[in-house]
Amino acid sequence: MNHTPTQESMPVTKVARSSKFVKTGIKIGGNYIKHYSKKIFNQDLSREQLNEDNAEDIYSALSQLKGSALKIAQMLSMDKNVLPKAYVNKFTQSQYNAPPLSGPLIVRTFTKSFGKSPDQIFDSFNLKASNAASIGQVHEATLNGKKMAIKIQYPGVADSISSDLKLIKPFAFRLLGMNEKELSIYIREVEERLLEETNYKLEVQRSMQFSEACKGIKNIVFPEYYPKFSSDKIISMDWVEGLHLKEFLQTNPSQKLKNKIGQALWDFYNFQQHELKAVHADPHPGNFLITPDEKLAVIDFGCIKEIPENFYAPFFGLISSGTRNNKQGTIKAFRELDMIHPGDSPQQVEFYYKAYKEMMELFAQPYTSDIFDFSNEAFFDGLYAFGEKLTQMPEFKQPRGVKHFIYINRTNFGLYTLLHDLKATVKTNTYSPQL
Amino acid sequence: MAKEISVVAPIASKIEVIKKAYVDYVLTENEDPKSVFDFAKRLKITEAEFYKYFSSFAAIKKTIWKDLIVQAINEIKFQPTWVGYNSREKILSFFYAYIELLKSQRSFVIYCLNNKKTKISTPSFLLDTKEIFLNFSEEVINEGLASGELADRKYFSQKYKDGLWLQLAFILNFWIEDDSDGFEKTDEAIERGVQLSFDLFQRSPLDQIFEYGKFLVRNGKLKEKMGL
Repeated sequence: MNHTPTQESMPVTKVARSSKFVKTGIKIGGNYIKHYSKKIFNQDLSREQLNEDNAEDIYSALSQLKGSALKIAQMLSMDKNVLPKAYVNKFTQSQYNAPPLSGPLIVRTFTKSFGKSPDQIFDSFNLKASNAASIGQVHEATLNGKKMAIKIQYPGVADSISSDLKLIKPFAFRLLGMNEKELSIYIREVEERLLEETNYKLEVQRSMQFSEACKGIKNIVFPEYYPKFSSDKIISMDWVEGLHLKEFLQTNPSQKLKNKIGQALWDFYNFQQHELKAVHADPHPGNFLITPDEKLAVIDFGCIKEIPENFYAPFFGLISSGTRNNKQGTIKAFRELDMIHPGDSPQQVEFYYKAYKEMMELFAQPYTSDIFDFSNEAFFDGLYAFGEKLTQMPEFKQPRGVKHFIYINRTNFGLYTLLHDLKATVKTNTYSPQL
Repeated sequence: MAKEISVVAPIASKIEVIKKAYVDYVLTENEDPKSVFDFAKRLKITEAEFYKYFSSFAAIKKTIWKDLIVQAINEIKFQPTWVGYNSREKILSFFYAYIELLKSQRSFVIYCLNNKKTKISTPSFLLDTKEIFLNFSEEVINEGLASGELADRKYFSQKYKDGLWLQLAFILNFWIEDDSDGFEKTDEAIERGVQLSFDLFQRSPLDQIFEYGKFLVRNGKLKEKMGL
């Protein structure tokens, strides 16, 4: 691997909840006791080892809860920015592991959906899954000489999400070090998106809508979807040949090619945010493939976040430095976004104004010039340092910001991280905020 | 109800008519008919004719259940995927096919299971079903043992099929309480339960522990070392 996870960390993202992640994410009782008792004898025992132990525990707890818990593990690992390195490495495992469905259950799922078994529908169908997705698995099939990818959902996923979330909630609160009341609006937002992801009919519909809407973007390709062979548990689409980001980077691509892919990513996300006002909110490396003809294929539209105007306007308004230099306007925007609360004292207003302004400046940096180099370590170090600073401030103990931040931050910082992994230089003025 | 019955109706269809009339009766009245005499009268057949086909109401029940499992087994064996399945998949596919088939008789299944007299032993209407299931499982398990898919353990491997029977009984009871869409939770219960059983039937670290233990007893002079 030609990048180190530390450099990817940028805890600045979720002002709403970021501060607590790093600081208290590590407070998993037992390991601490172990840590300190070992430390008596061995002064060199590193913090890293402790984190490693904690991550191990968290991971094994999570991996026992399939379905939505696995999804949460994925989400946490997406947020490399807020989790220490050891957690990230453990959680990343969950992105590629889930128990396979048995052949007979696959046949049954097909019979229930279409009244036919897979071999009656397709010319060939491989009962062995070729990959696992978080709430299902992918099979290879052929029909009329065309290779297809068939995604099948685990039974009971939709049903068990709420109960899984109930199970994981206390655990998550402890991990984030927040109490239930503070977090509940955010948890609800996540719950909604997760439930949507289990609706495969909706996913097919959206995939088709978004691929149609985004087809004008250069160097982006989408598989064709087959609603006829899709149901609430099954999605049929074209098989896309290509490499995942990690594999792609291992082939030592030229800078030019990395820029091309990076540009496609940037355009894809910003077109959606600023033109469609709804965005593929899962910039997880597993959702993209780099095709042999050097294009970026988007293969999963499970998670879509619609951006309401009352969030869009104040948030993206702050990207322009003109707005940020107007103090009253900026404070007004922060109030609209619930980053400054109505009950805050003048000193508090001043304090949060400064802190969030600094954050927005960092966030907006790629937009300030027409071209931005995402390999820029200084930029990511700046984000990281800012996040560290926030964790030290008791003022950020309480979460702030409207619920939409969760997915919008996840999307944008996820995008920044992907571009950083790619070390791409992109034109950032292709699709600008529309205000 | 029994208008279509004529003395010349072929035996098979007469059996079907009696079965159907019986199911209709119990599902409407939620109890068995008072007597064979009464039931035969409703059907407009003689008591003697009834006894020609069934010795009792219990016998009808048993036959209906037996027919279901026979049909399920025939169905899966006919599927083209059957030959490619290992024993784990064969059992899974049986469970799915069986539950699917029971759907057509769900009310009757619920009636039978809720009115069974015994809580512990197999209810009498399931006796034939059990026998057929055990034979079927044994056949599939033996294939698994022969191919090495399953661990051949002295005494225990003969018990695998009984384990599967308990599982089937569990699934039946689970299914009649299942109110999820399309009985999705039953699918999940089958998938997890049968997978777990087969994981246990496979060679596992426990076998190795056991064998290592035996080895130590034979060669490690364990007893002397422990001062025994």
